[in-house]
Amino acid sequence: MNFRTFAAFVGPSVFMMLLFIAFPLVSVFKQSFYITQPVYETVEVETCTPGFLTQTCVIEQKSQPKLDEHGEVITQTEYVGLQSYRNVLEPERAWRAITEGNWSVLSTINFWKALRFTLTFTLITLPLVIGFGLGIAVLINNAARSIRGPVIFISLLPFIITPVIGALSINWLFRGDGILTALLEWWLNRDIALFAQAWTIEILMMFYRVWHVAPFAAVVFYAGLQTVNQDSLESAVIDGATRWQRMKYIVIPHLMPLIIFVSMIHLMDAYRVFEEIVGFSSQAYVISLQWLTFDFLVPDQAGNRSISRASASAMLTMIGIVLLLILPLRRTWRDHKGGH
Amino acid sequence: MKLKTILMAGAMAIAASGASAACSYENEVPLKSLSAGFEAWKAVTDAMAECGNFSASLDQEFREKQPEAFAADPSLYQIGGVANETMIPLLNAGTIRPLDDLVAKYGQDLLPNQLIKVDGKVMAIAMMVNAQHLMYRNDVLADLGIEEPATYDDVLAAAAKIKEAGVMEYPIGGTFKTGWNLAQEFVNMYMGEGGTFIGEGNMPSINNEKGVKALETMKAMTEFMDPEYLVSDSTYVQQQFQQGKIAMANLWASRAAAMNDEAESQVVGKVTMASAPMGSERPSTTIWWDGIVLASNMSDEEADAAFRLVMEGIDGDMVSANNDTAVWLNAAYKPGDLAAGAAASAENGAGAYPASAAMGVLHSALGNGLADYLTGAKDAQTALADIEADYITAAKEAGLISN
Amino acid sequence: MSSRALRQPLSLRLTSNIFLAFWCLVAAFPIVWIAIMSVKSPVDAYDSNALNVIFGPATLATGNGLSVLDIIVGIAVIWGAAMVVTKVLPAKIKEYTSPGQEWFGWVVGVLVALIAFLLVFFVVLPAVLNVLNPLFGPLGRDVLGMTTEHYKTVWVDRGFSNNFKNSLIVTAGVVTVSLTVGTLAGYGLARSGSTLAFWILLIALIFRALPHSVLVAGYLPVFINSAEWLAPILGENAPTLYGKPFAVIAVLVAINQPFTIWMLRSFFQNIPAELDEAARVDGCNHFQAFRRVIMPVMWPGVITTGLFSFLLAYNDFLVTSLLLDAQNQTMVPAIAGMFNRETTTTDQVVAVAAAVSIIAPLFFLVMIFQRQIVSGLTAGAVKG
Repeated sequence: MNFRTFAAFVGPSVFMMLLFIAFPLVSVFKQSFYITQPVYETVEVETCTPGFLTQTCVIEQKSQPKLDEHGEVITQTEYVGLQSYRNVLEPERAWRAITEGNWSVLSTINFWKALRFTLTFTLITLPLVIGFGLGIAVLINNAARSIRGPVIFISLLPFIITPVIGALSINWLFRGDGILTALLEWWLNRDIALFAQAWTIEILMMFYRVWHVAPFAAVVFYAGLQTVNQDSLESAVIDGATRWQRMKYIVIPHLMPLIIFVSMIHLMDAYRVFEEIVGFSSQAYVISLQWLTFDFLVPDQAGNRSISRASASAMLTMIGIVLLLILPLRRTWRDHKGGH
Repeated sequence: MKLKTILMAGAMAIAASGASAACSYENEVPLKSLSAGFEAWKAVTDAMAECGNFSASLDQEFREKQPEAFAADPSLYQIGGVANETMIPLLNAGTIRPLDDLVAKYGQDLLPNQLIKVDGKVMAIAMMVNAQHLMYRNDVLADLGIEEPATYDDVLAAAAKIKEAGVMEYPIGGTFKTGWNLAQEFVNMYMGEGGTFIGEGNMPSINNEKGVKALETMKAMTEFMDPEYLVSDSTYVQQQFQQGKIAMANLWASRAAAMNDEAESQVVGKVTMASAPMGSERPSTTIWWDGIVLASNMSDEEADAAFRLVMEGIDGDMVSANNDTAVWLNAAYKPGDLAAGAAASAENGAGAYPASAAMGVLHSALGNGLADYLTGAKDAQTALADIEADYITAAKEAGLISN
Repeated sequence: MSSRALRQPLSLRLTSNIFLAFWCLVAAFPIVWIAIMSVKSPVDAYDSNALNVIFGPATLATGNGLSVLDIIVGIAVIWGAAMVVTKVLPAKIKEYTSPGQEWFGWVVGVLVALIAFLLVFFVVLPAVLNVLNPLFGPLGRDVLGMTTEHYKTVWVDRGFSNNFKNSLIVTAGVVTVSLTVGTLAGYGLARSGSTLAFWILLIALIFRALPHSVLVAGYLPVFINSAEWLAPILGENAPTLYGKPFAVIAVLVAINQPFTIWMLRSFFQNIPAELDEAARVDGCNHFQAFRRVIMPVMWPGVITTGLFSFLLAYNDFLVTSLLLDAQNQTMVPAIAGMFNRETTTTDQVVAVAAAVSIIAPLFFLVMIFQRQIVSGLTAGAVKG
């Protein structure tokens, strides 16, 4: 395939990605080194607001942005180098905490707190998703042919459900005296508050993620199981291999590409964990990297947003994900070259 | 599931939309509004829609969209719904217009109290006020012979008594959800102690005895609250009240009506609205208003039509029809028992929320930083110092503090 | 016989099936539960006693309920519908459409099935049961509290049908454009061994890993002011992109591209290159070879990929909530709007009903396309 044909085929797709992803990304990258802010002046302003019956007026010193002759806010943009990265990472505080061996202080610094949780979340759910996915796939494959269809259908439900709604329904089930908490309380015969400490929330969040993603892994693996070579399985039986050995030496190697595929997808998705934080309102105890970025980005009530820190934190998140993906990607490179 | 009821409902919906054109004039100019989405706004925008040629966006993301949409030329929306703090970005960017002429032309029915003035110019028309104030179960307190709590010491003492008597395990409810709600609780307490948030040159001034006192009171309250307090927002507190699980809470005035909603509440008529508990200097609460602004970037004709429409939307008819939806600022509003708490708080000298660009930054910093104190990860001084440091970083980035 | 050699002992089969049943329970429970909550009065829905939620005494007390007969007939109708959709529908579609136009048959078939089901279940059935219930004595007496008033609130009073329409527009747009663009790119990437192709794939992968919130916030000011900056190119007619479904479609397609091209590339790699090479020997150029040889065999992979695009577009919250105005709002942001500053318990149950309404179409979709998903995946749409 020559270059022109290739370009014609991939052109539209690449163009859309450039326009809507690469271009904003470049501007995010640039913004992480600059700070743009309005020029404020301090003026004395009388402000009157309603009381319940009468009005209250106060005269205050207020900072308000200067406007130019067109009524636009005057802004200044300044190159600050790595300052925004420093503001996110807080290296001095973190270093002091590390040298003093004081982990609890380190875990109160936002970025490190978020990194700790994001990594724990990603690395703990990864084997669980693969394990449960594989387990469910094998179970489905074991079941009678007539019930496979309905079982796959039910298995897919957690995966297709809208994430926002999924998180909400977990909330409805567990929050306060939600039905499942009530059930747990009745079973263990003690008062339980699942949203009152970090570790229970973390477990709930991981449980939710595994519940949500394992079906996807299961269906992919199930599809893979359909193409396992029956002859080699049979000859293994004749050679006296146990079930476990057959699984380990024939099935798993056959599924390896799929396991890597699911792992990669899961690494990417779990690393930008966000819905769980919002859905479980866990900000008090645990936060994630994407939540941190989002928090910098949403304007507060008075409209201020920390674009530069958000950009820096987004860039740091991206570096993290690239590091995580390097291993699986080396294989893809070999395949790509080997395939032609 | 009955066919008849479904058909009936459909027919009634059609009839209702057909017969509701109760507007006093026909609006000819196409107009759009962007505001938050709670009940009061729904009532107001519905009343405005009766005049025709009007479409309302009741949008949860209005905070993020409003500054951008009003900065476009022409503005994407002519009418905006704002509160104390959300007016600041529009005001600072100069994208809302002074309303003095229009008030003179159409605003005969407005109370002087409704005119939000900045530097002598009317910049917004307030339609309602809202404040957190004490709600308590009159039956529970009366049974135990407890007087109406006037300060937080009283509240805590009452809570201890209720718990001791075994009436309730967690007698106090609170909107302590991490983020905006939790910060708002601190703002209330700190206001009650008479503290100031922002000092000279926009430097923070919360790390002091008053700040520590406010934090300690909050912590003392959490002893009597459901352990999941850090995820409890006002809806949750309201439900706890309705299900009879709590006896006292400092809750929004706009939630008062729900206590007497027969369909949901098991405590109809048992909840008394009282003034927010007194801090050392004033009631521990802040007064908020919601109101309407008009965009700068539109023609004067549009502004004229928009203001006329707004006056129709917040007129006495609308207020009479939705009397209990909010604490309205209107001559036609009949404050009942449900508004007593807001009124008493104001009478005791409650202050307005000290809205400013810097306060917005501080409020966010508080929202993110306070939980560390309540969970025990930091002591009060460290928590306040860290919040101040966090604020300074953000304020420098926003240009409020010069480097 | 191959199966005899691999046959399993009874104990293993039993444990295996028990675990499977347990998994099905875990998978389905939350969804079934919110479906139950959505038909109860607020007091019942949030009761901490599970039996009260299921039987709904407070709902029953208001005169809304189901009799044993209602339940039996209702389950029978649902079962029948499921049978028709999974067994009869695919056969009918095969019968009535020519091989190239199966997708069209599917669209029509699914719509007809859906409308027929809604009609039978919500209109015909209640009417028939209203007549039958009094005739059956104790079987016809209401035993289970149930009310559809929350659904009425959602669809009639809150105008959810408008949100539904918007969701359909956005989703249909995203799936169509995404697949068209993605299929071409996937094919091109699969048949090119160049280093450039690898880098495109690699960068696409990194794009997929990006946190969306960063990108999306950047769009808002640009979209709102588009009339100004597009004016030099388009003149007077320059549109304001903010609030327009087509702008959101473009954004979602772009965000979805990385995953789409990866999946389709793997799929095309498993179609032997000899096929299109043979066509090229016969004098076709690449595009003709693609159209004549590849298109007829690519549908399993495309349907599977399309389903993922569908899920992404249909479930999206971040992009749609920020870039659409209230008139063009889709369903997922609309449900978030039900949790506002003054949310009451009733509002929450209404939101539960809305949540179930959002899930229902997905439910049907997966029921119908489930075979295609598995066969598409088996055919190699995911080979890492």
